[in-house]
Amino acid sequence: MTEKFSTATVNTVLGAINAAELGVVAVHETLRSVVPGAEYAYDITIDRAEVFEAIATELRAFKAAGGSTVVDASGMFHGRDVRMYEALSRSTGVHIVASTGQGPEAMLGGYFLTPQTNPPTPWPAEKWTAMFTGELVEGMVVPRVERRGVAGLVATVATREGMTSNDESIFRGAGRAALATGVAVSIRYGADALADLAVLTSEGLQADRVVVGGLDRSDATGVAAQVAAAGAYVALDHVGTESEGYLTDADRIALVAELIAAGHADRILLSASATCVSFGEPGNDVALDRVLTTFVPACKAAGVSDEDVQQILVANPAALLSVKGN
Amino acid sequence: MTHVNTVLGTVPTEELGFVAVHEHIGYGMPGSELDTQWWKTPEQRYEETVPKLRRFHENCSPWGAATYVEATGICNGRDINYYQSLSEKTGVNIIASTGFVGGDTALPFFERASVDYLYRQFVHEITVGIGNTGGKAGIIKVGVSRGFMMKELDLRIYRAAARAAVETGVPIFTHLAVNAEPAVEIFNEEGLPLDRVLFGHADDGVSQGKVRQEWIADQGGRIGFDTFGYDLELPDPPFWGRHKKDRLDHLLSFIEAGYLGQVLASADANCSPLGWPGVKGHTVNYLFETLLPDLKDAGVDDAVVDRIFVENAADFLTIKN
Repeated sequence: MTEKFSTATVNTVLGAINAAELGVVAVHETLRSVVPGAEYAYDITIDRAEVFEAIATELRAFKAAGGSTVVDASGMFHGRDVRMYEALSRSTGVHIVASTGQGPEAMLGGYFLTPQTNPPTPWPAEKWTAMFTGELVEGMVVPRVERRGVAGLVATVATREGMTSNDESIFRGAGRAALATGVAVSIRYGADALADLAVLTSEGLQADRVVVGGLDRSDATGVAAQVAAAGAYVALDHVGTESEGYLTDADRIALVAELIAAGHADRILLSASATCVSFGEPGNDVALDRVLTTFVPACKAAGVSDEDVQQILVANPAALLSVKGN
Repeated sequence: MTHVNTVLGTVPTEELGFVAVHEHIGYGMPGSELDTQWWKTPEQRYEETVPKLRRFHENCSPWGAATYVEATGICNGRDINYYQSLSEKTGVNIIASTGFVGGDTALPFFERASVDYLYRQFVHEITVGIGNTGGKAGIIKVGVSRGFMMKELDLRIYRAAARAAVETGVPIFTHLAVNAEPAVEIFNEEGLPLDRVLFGHADDGVSQGKVRQEWIADQGGRIGFDTFGYDLELPDPPFWGRHKKDRLDHLLSFIEAGYLGQVLASADANCSPLGWPGVKGHTVNYLFETLLPDLKDAGVDDAVVDRIFVENAADFLTIKN
């Protein structure tokens, strides 16, 4: 493993780095969250300097808690600000991996759903492939201005009630773009995690190039082990969220222990789905360092070994984020 | 004092001159900004836009002034700072829109919004300004989503627009004049006289057979013959194109039937489209280069032209409160 990491690289907003340099990774967070359209709302002001400071404060605390890399996993159309992420990374010393991707269907602009054609046929998979591949190869878009850096993974979400046909087009496009470029795909499952995963593997993507998020939802009982057995990464990605619809942290710890006991330590990932700033809807007000300051100590107290913790926080994300074939 | 809001401030109605009542500096579906195939450099955008507006200004000189109503709604690439610079440098009055081209061009934040929130958004943009630009909207855009039938979100936008129009006195114009029954019902319920509403695109190719223009006009509504120039005779016409003569005959017969006072006309051209290829060669100046000569050939006198492009437009656009 160690030898493999010495050559594998990861795309960060400041360029490719050796996977061994990632350190402790939060694999599913959102630095800047903007509901599409909220930037035009009459009663929302997005003060750039304030936003920067709010995110930087979270990143510094994350670093102080032992964190080293944050994955901004909200895709290309929910507030991503590549220029700011570059400056944040330089300023705080935290590696930032940004994502391409869109979805679910309800978050898409009309350009993709009702194009100016007759009939207005929604975008098929191959157009999504081209859009995501462009962001992975040529650079991430700053709308109508420039491309910057390259994305480090593709992130998408299936509609909670069940994957729609438009979600499926995006999933297939994400899978093909990942296959072509060697990056991983991060998904939030809809109603059926294994079926959503199967859409990606049916495109030829290996399951170990996929992380399935949302597996700490309270309706996901038993699913995490099945996803791990299928070879994909299991993200318990709402650590610190205990509201209705999610497990408590105590239950998450039990699930981690269960997965380790079943031999899946090499499939587990942890994250908080924190939104450092959020516009247009309430953010997920969990600290970016929550996993490190609270959850991991509790896991250790519950008997999870240091070795397994290292596997989960360092080795697993490094393997996931390493670009294959380079 | 009668006036309108332009992007550079109030302008007295008397200074509007010739009005192109439904045009675009640049229109793109929401999300098109992410697709690099449509990107243009700032140089290219100005190069494509400024000469058309200057030509428009020149063409309007017999009427004393040029006014361009920009029909691009929120989320469609509406760009007030840019319009302000264009207006200032070319001398063309530009009236910007609040509202949405249709429910399917409203992004998720607005799709989730209540009628009351949308109403406050529109009123704010009309009375306080759009973003931090200081420019105020002078008209409200609403429209019918693809499929020729009003969707629930379309109806919510229409109702919010009606309330904002009643409160602020600015008019409303619609994208598509089809399925007008629910629209008229909403305007009636909200107490908005129908002469404050321009039912647009009554003349486009795909709407024919679906527009109850007399039914709308008999209740006071205004009818937009505002896709002039999207002719099927073009080498690569858009799907909403129509034979040139059919469109002209449509307008002439409507005037002949006694509705001149309720007619407005425009070209719905893009100076520099944002998220689609546009239609090569089609500009607002079609009105002067083709439509006005055609009207003259058809025996329409100058007073009728003035009525449509000056008097009717000024009456419609004037803030009534």
